[in-house]
Amino acid sequence: MKKVFFCLLVVLITNVNAYAQKYFTKNGYISFFSKAKLENIKADHNQVLSTLDIGTGDMQFSLLIKGFHFPKATMEEHFNEDYMESDKYPKATFKGKITNLAQIDFTKDGTYNATVSGDLTMHGVTKKNFSTSGTITIKDGKISANSKFNVLLKDHNIKIPKVMASNIAETIEITVTCSYPNKT
Amino acid sequence: MSNLNKILLLTLLLIAVIAIIGLVMWNKPHSDVEGAGTIKVSPDDLYNAFVKDSAAAKNMYINKVVEVSGEVSETFTNEQFQTVVLLKTATERVSINCTFEEKEVQVKKGTNIAIKGICDGYNSGDADMDIPGDVVLVRCYLSK
Repeated sequence: MKKVFFCLLVVLITNVNAYAQKYFTKNGYISFFSKAKLENIKADHNQVLSTLDIGTGDMQFSLLIKGFHFPKATMEEHFNEDYMESDKYPKATFKGKITNLAQIDFTKDGTYNATVSGDLTMHGVTKKNFSTSGTITIKDGKISANSKFNVLLKDHNIKIPKVMASNIAETIEITVTCSYPNKT
Repeated sequence: MSNLNKILLLTLLLIAVIAIIGLVMWNKPHSDVEGAGTIKVSPDDLYNAFVKDSAAAKNMYINKVVEVSGEVSETFTNEQFQTVVLLKTATERVSINCTFEEKEVQVKKGTNIAIKGICDGYNSGDADMDIPGDVVLVRCYLSK
């Protein structure tokens, strides 16, 4: 009987160890792309904070709006002052969960499809149960996450003046690339 | 020259001037980091400023060119292959997170260097996961 308990204990402890693993990066990448009649605009962000708990599937992203960098200084100004109001709403966040965690084997190299669902907050407006898909890649034991999805400006109460309607799209394509080199 | 022609010419000139001003404004360059006047600050003072009084720190540092000197705790490349250098602070796991424009920057872990960059602010980390935030500098250069 003692032996059984001991075995159970060992199994429990190793399981806890295997799963109580939280990864993070402070230098993840997110870009946004607006495709409109008159021009295409792309901005990059390389200081995205992201966390991934491979035990629970919890996944979070957080970035400072001011960290988006544009090809032109004027675009950056308009983006921060007129559209995103980054002094008032300095951050955008996503707090969610991987919903198909069981299908991802973090111990085996490969690319796995992943779906995430959670709260997407930007410009002070939270969209609940925002869901999107992407991939989780394990290579030499290192985890990275990729996703591409669309965000509707009107979902976050971001208003584009009529005169700019042919310069800025109503749907923005967001690309996410984060590798998670750090363990907490 | 008839009056009509004069008016036409003036109008054209006016349009040309407006167009040129517009073009110059639209193409105005990003703020100059290398040649700009800088605020010199230590990694700890910069971090503490944001933690203690975020509003004052925002006014003082955000969008300003800041020069920070300190010890390199880590260096790596980000997803766009830019060099990232972390400068140590006295607080454990907190750094001044500096992203360079160039891909190849010769910086060694453990050395003391001075970096100039634009302060983007402080990402407050993740309290749930016990990850402290960093102060972020972008478009960095090694200060000579």
